[in-house]
Amino acid sequence: MAQSKPITKKKKKERDPKRVIAPLVVLVLIYIGLEVGLRVFQVPSYVLPTPTNILIETAASFSIILPDLLFTLKIICIGFCIAIPSGILLAALFSQFDILVKAMQPVVIWLVITPMITLIPLMTLWLGTDPNLRVIIVIIQATPIICLNTLNGFTRVEQEKLELARSVGATKLQTFVSIIFMNALPQVFTGIKLGCIFSTIGAVSADFVSRGMGLGDRIIKFTKYSNFEESYGCIVLIALIGITLYTIVELIEKRIVLWKK
Amino acid sequence: MQTPKIKFDHVTKVFETRSQTIVAVKDYSMEIQAGEFISILGPSGCGKSTLIRMLDGIIDTTEGDIFIDGVKVNLGGKKKMPPEVLRKMGFIFQQPNMLPWYTVRENVALPLRVFGLKGKEWEDRVDELMKMVGLEEYANARPSEISGGMLQRAGVIRAMVHDPEILLMDEPFGALDELTREQMNMELLDIWQKTNKTIIFITHNIEEAVLLSSRVYVMGTNPGHLVETVTLDLPRPRELSMITQSKFIEYRQKLESYIGEIDLSKIK
Repeated sequence: MAQSKPITKKKKKERDPKRVIAPLVVLVLIYIGLEVGLRVFQVPSYVLPTPTNILIETAASFSIILPDLLFTLKIICIGFCIAIPSGILLAALFSQFDILVKAMQPVVIWLVITPMITLIPLMTLWLGTDPNLRVIIVIIQATPIICLNTLNGFTRVEQEKLELARSVGATKLQTFVSIIFMNALPQVFTGIKLGCIFSTIGAVSADFVSRGMGLGDRIIKFTKYSNFEESYGCIVLIALIGITLYTIVELIEKRIVLWKK
Repeated sequence: MQTPKIKFDHVTKVFETRSQTIVAVKDYSMEIQAGEFISILGPSGCGKSTLIRMLDGIIDTTEGDIFIDGVKVNLGGKKKMPPEVLRKMGFIFQQPNMLPWYTVRENVALPLRVFGLKGKEWEDRVDELMKMVGLEEYANARPSEISGGMLQRAGVIRAMVHDPEILLMDEPFGALDELTREQMNMELLDIWQKTNKTIIFITHNIEEAVLLSSRVYVMGTNPGHLVETVTLDLPRPRELSMITQSKFIEYRQKLESYIGEIDLSKIK
């Protein structure tokens, strides 16, 4: 019998502690470096406040920030959760017809590139000024990038895998579910991860244009009244939302896409 | 006369691409009886893979008919072959062609799922086959975790899991190293002798064709066509030691002369 590699399931689950600690060390070093550097060179706080001051001032104003944080979080999460199935379903629909793939690809790329905040003034005209409508911006900002990556995955199936399906007489649906979709899953997740970033950008830029609510709006207000520490605090919070979403998606991906290392 | 298990009747396949028309197979006829082990030998691009893909309904025919047990199976156009016909055949690809997202066992059992064959007897059959080729301890492994030889064994038993009468093998061990390949060939002969399946074996390796089969169909290129049929009168069971016997060498040289004008170094 040919010798096979022993299956190393245990090894996979064991996490190398260095890989967890290393990024934390970098984070601490950046914090200390900034804290010391900013004080030594006496950088004014309107350029860059010290990390400690950012933390203290942001914590002190947290009750003011909280409603905006929750609002932006809500907009991002709802928009993102609608964008994921929309992007995948659109890609699934296009992929059924070769001609549609070719026809839609440039359109989708065009939509990916267009900054959707440019539509806000017009949208206000069509739909009114309800801040919850910013969800639409998030959806149209994130859906095309998810669709594009998924479509990419759908069209990259090895011929032999499709031949296997034909040789056992698989139906179109069976072939799609068991081969085409599974084959595309890594790319689908790439699309979703990019969708996290696009959703965050979409929501904050909508705040900038429409004003009145949200973390984007809060940043402008804080800056206007020279509360630079809080402005930076809000920026950190926005980044945290994006990172959290990204990490959640990555964790789910690791549980589902077991065959890729 | 007995109805042949498989019959190709003047089969032609033409591929139309945007820029050109390629005649992959031209006017090909052959008859294979139940339980025979035959090889189709020829250089790359002679249409030998196209032949068994037409038989297994993966691609359609352009002209001519294909019969299994006397029943015409190519329905023409985009019409799919009925499942009861497809169930008679198992296809073994050149690459293991495993689906990486399934475990080895799920891959092997895939035809059962598609053909709707459920129940304990079928599940037992999967385990039995896994055991036969030494894969039982890798049942829950992913294909990426086991060796090439093991994967190709999985490919062979996947083609057998629904108990087909015919095995179609498209250069099945071509991607393996020499030693593993010889071993797999002997295992295949063993399986054939035990199960009495009809086997069509595609290869560009003359020695392999002589060692395994009872008859060799030699194909030529441009367009792919039948050059010669050679019946091999060698005793069974075949053994690796036979390749040094004079009769074996005679057959080998005869086959070499039929595909002699082709530069063999270019084929691999």
